[in-house]
Amino acid sequence: MTTMTAPSKLDAATKPAVIDLLYRLADDGLIIGHRNSEWTGIGPILEEDIAFSSMAQDKMGHALAFYRMLHELGEPDPERITFERGPEAFRCCSLVAMEFLSGSSGQGDLCNNPVRDELLYRGDWCGSLVRQFLFAEADAVRMAALENSAYEPLAHLARKLRGEIKYHTLHGRLLMEKLGEATPESGERLQSTLTLLWPHALGIFEPTRFESALAEAKICPPESELCDQWRSEVTPIIAKSGLKIPARAMPHYGGRAGKHGPELAALLEAMQRVYMLSPGATW
Amino acid sequence: MDTQWPIFEVFHQASRGEPHVHVGAVHAPDGETAIMLAKEQYGRRQACVNMWVVPSGAIVATAYEDADLFEHGTDKSYREAFGYETTKRAKAVGDAGEI
Repeated sequence: MTTMTAPSKLDAATKPAVIDLLYRLADDGLIIGHRNSEWTGIGPILEEDIAFSSMAQDKMGHALAFYRMLHELGEPDPERITFERGPEAFRCCSLVAMEFLSGSSGQGDLCNNPVRDELLYRGDWCGSLVRQFLFAEADAVRMAALENSAYEPLAHLARKLRGEIKYHTLHGRLLMEKLGEATPESGERLQSTLTLLWPHALGIFEPTRFESALAEAKICPPESELCDQWRSEVTPIIAKSGLKIPARAMPHYGGRAGKHGPELAALLEAMQRVYMLSPGATW
Repeated sequence: MDTQWPIFEVFHQASRGEPHVHVGAVHAPDGETAIMLAKEQYGRRQACVNMWVVPSGAIVATAYEDADLFEHGTDKSYREAFGYETTKRAKAVGDAGEI
């Protein structure tokens, strides 16, 4: 296996493949980080609010690390990548963009907000929890594989992030198992959410046109292989939680090719609003 | 009716070999969940290699009114170790790497 130790070692076949992979990783991290941060201040219990906010910071940190790697490969700087792209340029999966806190994108100041409780009851924290569980397990599988990537900077970063991702999977597994069997209501809500999210979770592993380039150069295993590993991780946890995986789910694809629903545009409008008041300004 | 979860006291250890230090408390339904929550409440800033959670109810404590139990009525400074100049002497001999 040839190890590529630096951007200069990538060739015409591997360079665009690595760039696409990094955009997928970074965009997933940025968008799920943003979604998790929407619960800050209005989480169902104090400690979960803090845990979600902290995990959001972790994923945003991961996204920044990937955006910096993209910059080293000739892409624009992280600030411009984050705040100046429209939804069609994002390569995140549909799962991370799903909205569980309606009206959150348009919400103003949540501190001392008299409708805080109303927002909490209108929002569906269960959706965010199941999404976080499904995504974190996929993240762990992918990062573990990337620790052996032939592209050395990526392997190095994957090793650094291992501890944070370990916590994300610990958090997801514990809550799925406890809430799955807690009461009939908690079990039902988790099941209906799992059924809804499963096709989108399969969409994490949407193959791209760079599949063979990445696999041949041993930069990243094929998506189908990662998906199989992910399934073998989540299946026993889902069973232990007393839940069932939907039988004939079709994967929801499109995200990796820039095709997204209106929820991503609304999210980006809120996230980019302040920057767009004066693009390129020093704050 | 109390709708709060039981309280767990949280202790963390900055590095192996150091004593675990009490840093606060969390509400949780059980020890496993308490660990998961305490990791973020108390482990997100300072260095930490190990964490304990203990149900508050398991802790047996003295009362502040009984602080006088610990006072010395007569001089017991002979119990203190300030008379030992081991470190100074070991350094002089060049032997104080790990004292």
